[in-house]
Amino acid sequence: MTAHVELRQISKQYGAVRAVLPTDLDIQKGEFLAILGPSGCGKTTLLRMIGGFVMPSGGTITLEGQDVTRLKPEARPTNMVFQGYGLFPHMTVAQNVGYGLRLARVPDEERKRRVQEALSLVHLGDFGPRSIDQMSGGQRQRVALARALVMQPKVLLLDEPLAALDLKLRKAMQEEFRRIHSATGGTFIFVTHDQEEAMSLANRICVMEGGRIVQSGSPQDIYLRPQSRFISRFIGEANFFRGQRKDGKVTLENGLSFADAGKDAEIDCVVRPENMGIRLNESETLPADFDLQIVSTVEEVVFLGPYTHYKLATQNGERIIVEVRDQGQNRCAHPGAKALIGWRSRDHTVLTE
Amino acid sequence: MKNGRFPYARILPVLPSVLVFTAFFAVPLAYFFIISFWRVRAFQLRPDATLAQYEAVFLDYSGPLIFTLGMALAIGLTTTLIAFAFAFFCRFRAYRFGTALIFVTLLALFGGYLTKIYMWKTILGSAGILNSALLAIGLIDNPITALLYNPVAVVITLVHYTLPLAVLPIYGSLKGIDDIPLEAARDLGASRMRIFADIIVPQCRVGILSAFSLSFIFAAGDYVTPLMVGGPSSSMIGLFIQNQFGTRLNSPLGSAMSFVVIGCCVVIILTVAAALFAVTRRRD
Repeated sequence: MTAHVELRQISKQYGAVRAVLPTDLDIQKGEFLAILGPSGCGKTTLLRMIGGFVMPSGGTITLEGQDVTRLKPEARPTNMVFQGYGLFPHMTVAQNVGYGLRLARVPDEERKRRVQEALSLVHLGDFGPRSIDQMSGGQRQRVALARALVMQPKVLLLDEPLAALDLKLRKAMQEEFRRIHSATGGTFIFVTHDQEEAMSLANRICVMEGGRIVQSGSPQDIYLRPQSRFISRFIGEANFFRGQRKDGKVTLENGLSFADAGKDAEIDCVVRPENMGIRLNESETLPADFDLQIVSTVEEVVFLGPYTHYKLATQNGERIIVEVRDQGQNRCAHPGAKALIGWRSRDHTVLTE
Repeated sequence: MKNGRFPYARILPVLPSVLVFTAFFAVPLAYFFIISFWRVRAFQLRPDATLAQYEAVFLDYSGPLIFTLGMALAIGLTTTLIAFAFAFFCRFRAYRFGTALIFVTLLALFGGYLTKIYMWKTILGSAGILNSALLAIGLIDNPITALLYNPVAVVITLVHYTLPLAVLPIYGSLKGIDDIPLEAARDLGASRMRIFADIIVPQCRVGILSAFSLSFIFAAGDYVTPLMVGGPSSSMIGLFIQNQFGTRLNSPLGSAMSFVVIGCCVVIILTVAAALFAVTRRRD
């Protein structure tokens, strides 16, 4: 079976700058794909190539089996929600949403019906006659979404769609995006630098770094099995323990050791803060399955509401964060106190890259 | 302090311009409006309440009046069109040279008014640059005298003079147009022509109208250019008005002529504005 969208060896070079290195990517029908990466990683360029706004330096783009590589954006069955929305300031909300249908010479009656449907879908049913400058940021975002959705695109492209909104509105819009995606059953590709947004929205995440897709998989995959130091740092918080692997045995610089198959190499053992345990009283012990344990010094205790972050230092100077859902009961933990920390060896990832 | 002791402090900054405007524009205008209903007897102004002057304008000067308005309309439209094309190029096609080109346009304002008129005399005259060049190439045997002293020379000179003034408001409004909506329009299937007509022009209507008004009003009121490069066939109303105030000492008639011209100009500008807004109107 061929994928809905296929990128083959697609690349983009601006003079001497290689924005996107030759990349392969298959996107299935109905997928909600996030392209995630820091600024300058080439994610927007990749999206704009799919939309036709950037002509690739090499490679092909196929949409439902049709080669669209050389097709201009106005001829492509894709629609984009732009960063900053790009609404037409001199038109009303309904005129904005109906503009594409007008260009496509959709009959008046059908156009009005579809505009109304699209506006209802984004909960702006009564806002048609308003002018754009009467709309708030979140409402403009919805208008831009309705304007793209009304065209019934084969692929909907979203370029940092929520970047301009405040946290609360962003959460609400994420909810909306999920609802609209399941309501329309369309293929959505969105670009973001916000890992939380990517994880809460997408079925699949492609992490980009330096013009390449460095890992592609489900949000769980990316979070639990990051394939490089970059990804584990970029997605969520992570503790790094440096060490050596020799003859199938890893010895960390802090003295811990465990069995791990693989080539002899310099490694990083990565553990998520929420997978670590901590005991502040000498009388208490960590659960028996916490097979890797070490004594550290508390440097700071940060209460964050539902959980507390303990920041510690190991004897060899490694900085560790332990996340505990204890709502700060252990206030007695003062800087300088000794604490026993540990984790299960099944919860860590050993990285050589 | 700000509003307490002197509640009118907020209008203080505009006071000087209000005073200057009232003293040197509104008051003289009112004075001339009043005397346009007066008469002149034995070279003396006599208060009256007659429409005789206006009657005289329509009876004796409707020819020059219509010619002047036609010329001004031609100059205004030509200038606006060229200015739009130039500003459009600077905003959308010249990339980083756009600002430099606008700066050059500003430099063009430095040349004085008379300098520019004489420049065109030098270019278009029978011993001028154009004729000399054509003679030298051998395209013509005798200088073409028809280049100068006709309405076309007036149009060329005034279009050239008002062009920088017209470029600025249009460029200003084009500069205010965001790039993302243009991409969004493409994404929705709009061709270059449609983007131009649906997205760009409607957003710079005010700039276009300012450019037209500036060049139109300047052309309608000018009397030096027709005198210098226009020849006997292209006397514009400004020249006749100047005559009434100058040699003929008939300021009531001159005033009446002025107010008729002002009235016609307002009507034409409003008509052009209505036409522009009707053509670029958004339909649902």
